[in-house]
Amino acid sequence: MILNEEQLMLKETVAQFFAEQAPIERLRELGIAPLSESYDRTLWSEMAALGLTGITVPEEFEGLNFGWMAVGAIAQEAGRRLVASPFLSSVVFAQNVLLNCGSRNQIERLLPTLMSGEVTASVAIDEGRFFGPATIVASESDDGLSGIKTRVLNGQTSDVLLCVAKRSSGALGVALISSVNAKVSVDAKRSMDLHGHANITLDGIPNTDVEWLAGDSVEAGLTKAIDQATIVLAAEMMGSAREALERTVDYLGEREQFDVKLGTFQALQHRCAQMFCELELAESAVSAALTGVDHGAPNLSALASSAKALANDCFTLISSEAVQLHGGMGVTEEMDIGLFMKRSRVCNQLLGSSSYHRDRFAHLNGF
Amino acid sequence: MSNEELNQFRAETTAWLEANCPPSQRQPIVREEQIWGGRRRVFPSAEAQQWFEACRDKGYTAPEWPSEYGGAGLSPAQAKVLQQEMAKMGCRPPLYCQGLWMLGPALLVYGNEAQKREHLTAICRGEIRWAQGYSEPSAGSDLANLKTKAEDCGDHFLVNGTKIWTTKADEADWIFCLVRTSDSTPKQAGISFLLIDMATEGVSTSPIPLISGESEFCQTFFDNVKVPKANLVGELNGGWAVAKELLKHERKMMAAFDGMLEKPAMELLELAHYAVGLDDSGALADSELRSDMARHLMREKAMGQLGERIYWQGKAKQVDPRLPLLMKHLGTSEAQAKDELILRALGDEGLSMDDPAISEGLRKMVKQWAFNKALTIAGGTSEVQLNIIAKRALGMPSVESKS
Repeated sequence: MILNEEQLMLKETVAQFFAEQAPIERLRELGIAPLSESYDRTLWSEMAALGLTGITVPEEFEGLNFGWMAVGAIAQEAGRRLVASPFLSSVVFAQNVLLNCGSRNQIERLLPTLMSGEVTASVAIDEGRFFGPATIVASESDDGLSGIKTRVLNGQTSDVLLCVAKRSSGALGVALISSVNAKVSVDAKRSMDLHGHANITLDGIPNTDVEWLAGDSVEAGLTKAIDQATIVLAAEMMGSAREALERTVDYLGEREQFDVKLGTFQALQHRCAQMFCELELAESAVSAALTGVDHGAPNLSALASSAKALANDCFTLISSEAVQLHGGMGVTEEMDIGLFMKRSRVCNQLLGSSSYHRDRFAHLNGF
Repeated sequence: MSNEELNQFRAETTAWLEANCPPSQRQPIVREEQIWGGRRRVFPSAEAQQWFEACRDKGYTAPEWPSEYGGAGLSPAQAKVLQQEMAKMGCRPPLYCQGLWMLGPALLVYGNEAQKREHLTAICRGEIRWAQGYSEPSAGSDLANLKTKAEDCGDHFLVNGTKIWTTKADEADWIFCLVRTSDSTPKQAGISFLLIDMATEGVSTSPIPLISGESEFCQTFFDNVKVPKANLVGELNGGWAVAKELLKHERKMMAAFDGMLEKPAMELLELAHYAVGLDDSGALADSELRSDMARHLMREKAMGQLGERIYWQGKAKQVDPRLPLLMKHLGTSEAQAKDELILRALGDEGLSMDDPAISEGLRKMVKQWAFNKALTIAGGTSEVQLNIIAKRALGMPSVESKS
């Protein structure tokens, strides 16, 4: 539930690193870069040099074994600066899909270049408007692999795609494909939070160009990787929410009206205090979920759904209140606070909205 | 204490509980069978008495208090083991008492040796039942405005005034009170902490009927009550510090209230299955209730996880002092959210507290819904909690400061 000393040191290092190397101006620069870019490549190679690009990998595969509380801490620090990078999409999600669903041979062959950050991968799982792995249509047939994948995070810059699709047997599988395959078309996008993703059309990729992940339990492994990525995304959101609240409290402590600091008004104090309660409540659910990954908790899906639903609701509340409490400045493009609100709404849709997670949680608990 | 020693302690504890906790005392507690102690105590059964006495003699009514005052002198780690093993076996709490939860911890810090010996021992042994005399009709959230006066009369104080929301004062033997001993400013600096035997002439108490149809709370009156000087806890006019120490424990207790209470006849989930039912897909038939229930269950779980975080932070000496400030407000409002869900799920059966056609268990839940509205009021209202959080956790400026 808390960081050990080694993890605390890592968190401090990463916090300082992002503060120096990834201020929000860097994100704004990305916002005016061509759509084909989804992250700052210099920043990414520095993250790799810090060892962040293989941080989730267990010792068995030459990883550092820092533990998932540490992964969450890194995500939180990234969240504070709204950092755009393939950390979630490649390091957390794709690498763990590979680890959980791949055969030993596949892992040993593909993981090293992903861990070093030289190669990035993305999981293509969403289809249509909402996240919903239960309704995946993309499928394998004699004519090859076809389907339309949406919101593939950093999809325009990924070298490898891990495409979740139906096998001929009807079971879900994960197809490993190269993003430069002739039958893959990538429609690069930038959402309002300035992060990049792509809609990707798979137009009958020849079966000879597709390698299916061949581990022992692909569906269970996929569910676990989704849960892991969901929990880390929730952690990232908590970092963003914490930053937004701190900026708001600071602003109220500086801005004067009626000859007093705005922060002296009880109406505003109570709103901030309420936000802080929500923040620490959600943070607790996220910490419990990260610890659940570390301990191999059997109810990981319920922990993940709790963490994401609480993080969604908390970050939505805090970012909206942050804009309101910044007054007129809150709606200006000059202030960064609006970016936090936009980021919150994008994160809400990634890996499941609150509705999705409450529904899943209810099912998992028999109601 | 090493892990090995702790494991040894666990084994001894389990064996002791096995030998001393009768089967009937391993059943979920019902309110009527809670043991509150006191001069007028009665035991609901011989086994209840046996379990209470075994715990009393072992010091387990107050496991962490020093053994010279009737506790068991356990370390926090040992006390946790005891708590875990009791929970595993379903052992009932041996004693319920405000003295145990609130006065005792404050006396350990502020009481003199004679007070500790007299009162802590009587509390642990369940001989004296305590009530709390803080609030007054004109001093609620603004507690420092209290007016009950203790006049210095040489060898004793003469107390006049009234206290309100004195929980179960009609069944209590002693009351710990905040009284005014000086009119100096600030108001907090003129308050003292007094222990008063309710059998003293001039003390009277009357229950206050509540919206739950019950009278948990009383008003207590003091009419020329003589209180020996020896009953002053802490310094004269230094009662505010004692009160603050005690309030910490009250808030902790209120946040953990759930575990001490009678379990409802049905848990929320079971109740929803029973009252609302599932549709063909296995989902609760009321989709909005279902979503709200999921939300509540997640938050309730997260409350526990927040408690765990605080626990582990303490163990690792990485304490974030802001987190305990949140427990009372979050815990009590989530408890009320649950009551509202229960009422919604009950439908027609949730509309009466006294219709004999409705089972007693369900009616208790309805009463609980009404009674629990006090949770966000007693022990510092939620609004006061938010003030504290804004100032102490977020460092927001006070009204006075203009710079």
